[in-house]
Amino acid sequence: MVNLLQNGDVCMEELKEETPMFCINDNEDVLVEILRRLDGRSLGSAACVCKMWCGIARNDALWEHLCFRHVSPPPSGVRPVVMALGGYRRLYMVCVRPVLSRLGRMRVRVGGGESDLVSRVWTRQEVELSLSLFCVDYYERLLGGGGKLGDAPASSLIFLCKTVNV
Amino acid sequence: MKRDHPHPHQNRPDTFSSGGSSSVGGGGVGYSGGKSKMWEETEQDAGDDELLAVLGYKVRASDMAEVAQKLEHLEEAMGHAQEDGLSHLASDTVHYNPSNLSSWLESLISELNPPTFDSSSSNPLGDPFTESSTITTLDNSQRYPSFDSELKVIPGKAVYPRIQQQPPVKRMKPTSESSSSATMWGFSNESTRSTEPTRPVVLVDSQENGVRLVHTLMAGAEAVQQGNLKLAEALVKQIGFLAVSQVGAMRKVATYFAEALARRIYRLFPQNPQESAFSDLLQMHFYETCPYLKFAHFTANQAILEAFASKKKVHVIDFSMKQGMQWPALMQALARRTGGPPSFRLTGIGPPAHDNSDHLQEVGWKLAQLADAIHVEFEYRGFVANSLADLDASMLDLREGEVVAVNSVFELHPLLARPGAIEKVLSAVKDMKPEILTVVEQESNHNGPVFLDRFTESLHYYSTLFDSLEGCGGGGDGGSTMSSQDKLMSEVYLGRQICNLVACEGVDRVERHETLAQWRARLVSAGFGSVHLGSNAFNQASMLLAVYAGRDGYRVEEHDGCLMLGWHSRPLITTSAWKLS
Repeated sequence: MVNLLQNGDVCMEELKEETPMFCINDNEDVLVEILRRLDGRSLGSAACVCKMWCGIARNDALWEHLCFRHVSPPPSGVRPVVMALGGYRRLYMVCVRPVLSRLGRMRVRVGGGESDLVSRVWTRQEVELSLSLFCVDYYERLLGGGGKLGDAPASSLIFLCKTVNV
Repeated sequence: MKRDHPHPHQNRPDTFSSGGSSSVGGGGVGYSGGKSKMWEETEQDAGDDELLAVLGYKVRASDMAEVAQKLEHLEEAMGHAQEDGLSHLASDTVHYNPSNLSSWLESLISELNPPTFDSSSSNPLGDPFTESSTITTLDNSQRYPSFDSELKVIPGKAVYPRIQQQPPVKRMKPTSESSSSATMWGFSNESTRSTEPTRPVVLVDSQENGVRLVHTLMAGAEAVQQGNLKLAEALVKQIGFLAVSQVGAMRKVATYFAEALARRIYRLFPQNPQESAFSDLLQMHFYETCPYLKFAHFTANQAILEAFASKKKVHVIDFSMKQGMQWPALMQALARRTGGPPSFRLTGIGPPAHDNSDHLQEVGWKLAQLADAIHVEFEYRGFVANSLADLDASMLDLREGEVVAVNSVFELHPLLARPGAIEKVLSAVKDMKPEILTVVEQESNHNGPVFLDRFTESLHYYSTLFDSLEGCGGGGDGGSTMSSQDKLMSEVYLGRQICNLVACEGVDRVERHETLAQWRARLVSAGFGSVHLGSNAFNQASMLLAVYAGRDGYRVEEHDGCLMLGWHSRPLITTSAWKLS
């Protein structure tokens, strides 16, 4: 708000009452809404900002949304299975992202970022394939680790980690 | 180091100085004044090559051609030698009198190619490298007795640097065999034998070597079939040398086939690979490296899933239990089924383990853990059987009201080794009253009555398979160490199949692959009818391949309701589904 002083100068008064300070960290639900719209890579970066953001970004619901938000209709009966096999974040990391990027690059040869790839509509079969591969991953870790499930992707899915020359 | 046939004296008069007999002047010597002297000098040196004489080697001009060629051969042989780790040659070479360049070269070459075949007295194969005579004399074609009438001495390009009793058979097929390949090379040998000596020349063209390699392999198989074991031995050795000059898939395939042929010739039959732990491990690596087994599992699972639609109690009998890699994917699909998962029973059948560990039970335990995690009611039973033919439907505790599926991945073809086994197994399967029988087999006829046909077919089949392996397993920075080991294990896995296929006979030869048409005939006559694998299976298989690197080579094809996975235009494995008709 601009005030006219007695000596003719103009000064600005601080508008404390009209525009309150806004800190995103105080508004978790807004933060979650923003994060929900990000792609996987950005979500990963967001997890590196601070402890609070890390805790929020690791929330599996966010990753569930990321995995299947473009699947129509949303697959049923998936959640208990995925949660049992290691969670959506792992599903995304180990299966969904590589599968999508391989298939996405195959079909859309335009150089886009990861957001372009995720914005494709999944087909039901891609979902099925990812889930099957995820289950195989879980089982291989069972076989290999002797019960202890580590974080590294199991051997048969190593191929998904390799760079693809497309 | 390549030199044409030099006639140095006549062609390069300007390099001779007018003074001194064997010194090379600084060039640019006037020609006219020195000409008469030059000719005197050349006569005086009795034909020694001037340029080499400067270095201290006395080589007759007439020998220059072959010396040059021997040098070329030595260079190539040294190159290969270092690849093979014979690095001692680089450091420990014994130098003979360098003034006798020819014999020094011979000795070097003979060290590089040590005799590998020791036989008694009359050595008709006559390993050429142990011959002591030198090459400096040019006409020695009459020195060596001609070998079997089939192998003739041929002048011109040859692998070995010596006149040999073991001439390059690749160039000319023995006359007793079919003449088609002789016409392909198309040159006659008789006329030139007496006039020209055999010149030792190096083979440097590896593409030509590749073609020769294949032809030598075929010739070796033919020789084995005809019982001409001596010829076969000679050819197998040549395969070994030729294979070294190749790279990649061709080299590996040739090596495995050569080893298998050698085993057949020398009767060193491989141990029957019933060590289940090791062969399971190899199959695991094969599973991880390339998509064939994954394709098999996913397509078979899709067929089973469709057969189990809306059934409450399901029972899968797996003839190929191994590590149970097929079942997690099926179980998660059952878990997510609309209407909830059925109660799932799995009976796994496998060979006895040699180390007394209850391997089948361990696998069952892991699967049970998985089933528990995804809340599928699960029951498991493991059966140990030496052969599937020992099985009987009554042993399996089939219960009322449950729907049965029988699954076999690469387990039916070994039954063809024993007469009557496959019929017994198929009738046992019929007694189980399955809703569906899924069969995955290699798509090739390796069970013909004629050895040479089997050899040819399997050579093509495994060449294609190894080619496809070259594409997988490469690339990627994090996984490269893992993948090269995986790839190696996969190659060993396939190599064992090759060995069994080529070297063994009778009941030991278990790798009796047959084509879909043959299996179809067998199954139909046993009372089964074909079930078409639907478009779901096809799409899932295509997508699976799209996800793999090297996808450009793999092809999924549908053929009469069965799905085939192949590399480029060659189908390699087939999944088919059957029901009681």
